[in-house]
Amino acid sequence: MAEISTVARPYSTGIFSLAKETKKLAEWSEILHLMATVINNKDMLAFVSDPKIVDEEKEKLLIDLMGKGLSKEGINLVKLLIENKRLGIVATISKMFDELKDIDQGTIEADLVFASKPSKEEVDELIKSLEKKFKKKIEANVKVDEDIIGGTIIHVGDTVIDASVKGQLSSLAYNLKA
Amino acid sequence: MQLSTSEISELIKSRIKDFSVSSEARTQGTVVSVTDGIVRVHGLSNVMSGEMIEFPGNTFGLALNLERDSVGAVILGDYEHISEGDVCKCTGKILEVPVGPELIGRVVDALGNPIDGKGPVKTKETDKLEKVAPGVIARKSVSQPVQTGLKAIDSMVPIGRGQRELIIGDRQTGKTAVAIDTIINQKGQNMKCIYVAIGQKASTIMNVVRKLEENGAMEYTTVVSASASDSAALQFLAPYAGCTMGEYYRDRGEDALIVYDDLTKQAIAYRQISLLLRRPPGREAYPGDVFYIHSRLLERAARVNEAYVENFTKGKVKGKTGSLTALPIIETAAGDVSAFVPTNVISITDGQIFLESDLFNAGVRPAINAGISVSRVGGAAQTKVIKKLGGGVRLALAQYRELAAFAQFASDLDEATRKQLERGKMFTELMKQAQYAPLTVSNMAITLFAANNGYLDDVPTEKVLSFEKALHGFVASKYKAVVDSIEKSLALSEDDEKKLTKAIEDFKASNAY
Repeated sequence: MAEISTVARPYSTGIFSLAKETKKLAEWSEILHLMATVINNKDMLAFVSDPKIVDEEKEKLLIDLMGKGLSKEGINLVKLLIENKRLGIVATISKMFDELKDIDQGTIEADLVFASKPSKEEVDELIKSLEKKFKKKIEANVKVDEDIIGGTIIHVGDTVIDASVKGQLSSLAYNLKA
Repeated sequence: MQLSTSEISELIKSRIKDFSVSSEARTQGTVVSVTDGIVRVHGLSNVMSGEMIEFPGNTFGLALNLERDSVGAVILGDYEHISEGDVCKCTGKILEVPVGPELIGRVVDALGNPIDGKGPVKTKETDKLEKVAPGVIARKSVSQPVQTGLKAIDSMVPIGRGQRELIIGDRQTGKTAVAIDTIINQKGQNMKCIYVAIGQKASTIMNVVRKLEENGAMEYTTVVSASASDSAALQFLAPYAGCTMGEYYRDRGEDALIVYDDLTKQAIAYRQISLLLRRPPGREAYPGDVFYIHSRLLERAARVNEAYVENFTKGKVKGKTGSLTALPIIETAAGDVSAFVPTNVISITDGQIFLESDLFNAGVRPAINAGISVSRVGGAAQTKVIKKLGGGVRLALAQYRELAAFAQFASDLDEATRKQLERGKMFTELMKQAQYAPLTVSNMAITLFAANNGYLDDVPTEKVLSFEKALHGFVASKYKAVVDSIEKSLALSEDDEKKLTKAIEDFKASNAY
């Protein structure tokens, strides 16, 4: 059994190269987000994965539903995914497309978790130092989580920089036990 | 409420003082699937092969498969509490186990945690589980003996310190018994022992430990246990853990003996892990690297030279060689030694001791098949006295096997053939030995001397063993000087020979058997 990301990779690279050629990166990103949101709906997912419903019916419903949001190529993508029975991986395709887009544009997404609401200056300063470290433009999502007690936790891709009081307490606990 | 040693206030103070407060950068991943102790993790882009991964609930895993979109890891221990979506992180460390003399007399699991209820093991050091074996420059040829105390082995398939001698046979042929007897006989021989039990019943392991305790062998032995109910990962890792504990002594100029009981089960555990990791199966469904798991393990059993020991201990130990002797055990099915794992291990080791069900059932115990049991390097390490006297046994048994087919025509055979047959029968009987009753070098020499010089030829076969026992008692009480001389020099001088001849003649005249 192949991993979902392995299956999704050729779709996302294919869409990405088409989008880049036609200079419609932002548009495609929106199309994929829309498709992912629609298909990830619980009832919708049950509908598209129901083997008793014929492909034409699924196609009609999906295109009707997203009609205005889809370009001609977008409709073709829906048809292709239905034909290959890969509707379920749209969310992953969308995510991988965004990653490719970020790499292309030299940006990277980062989650910044704070213990209390930070001031704008604090966030800006943090982003500046992160941009220096990762040598990329940072698109930050700021979250507040009181559980970390104090400090901040930064997630960039799968790298985590833990400068929270909670993280330090748990590593102190580990250090005492070892 | 129990207090542990780590809670002494001075210790806590120093640890808090030294604790550096800094932000921690690490790579993390998300668990995608959990199946039978194998987890697939998404993320962890910096993970290294063999690195420990930390899961929630103080559980650790070992990264084994690094793939394009995921990492396959095996959980060490319980995995029931790990579920899809859990976050795990890299530790940057590879697996280590505690080592040192503090482990002696203890029963530990594959990760070095005590399981004998005798409290924590207070080791000062830990060492890596997987290490590269010493290279050719660091080695020295095998030249000192490991006395197993078993007549059949010490005389026909001698084992040297640093050798790898395979014990192979079907189930219920006394493989473990040979290994346990060898451990028991190491008392006072300056040898540390490690017994690694892999995939065995907990009750069997318990019996082994009890027998070792009864015979005073736990004073120099560590038992590493990965029983049948432990996870496949632990069964796979236990031999490497035991080996690391043994290498501690080898590298410090001491001698150690390690028994892997048995490597067939380790291969089966590794097959399970590999199949769950979706590695392609090969012959008998084993993965492609099943040879390598055994070769890299057994290659670590070696004798290292003085320079290596001096270099390792930074000059603290000088002029001493170290050794780790390995006795791997392999269980065959219906005597089939051409199965995958047995052929592999036969080709890796420096010889093998073959145990056969037919011999075992015929009452020949230990059930060693002298024809196909060999020791490729042990001859150089055999004690002088046994080397001198043991040659006759092999020859007599070989001739006996050749003629055994004619045995039923006994009445029609010529005198010489009949004599050879009888001698062979006598030697077969003489090689029998009770369990937990290893012999000293001197007693073995007395037995072999008497048999070689024809003093047993007129003793009825069924009385051979009682003759031997009575003779040992007689010589020990009346000719103690000879016994002491042999034990001291481990050789047989002409003077000793004369005295021994006289002793045996005296004994036969007394008709005490």
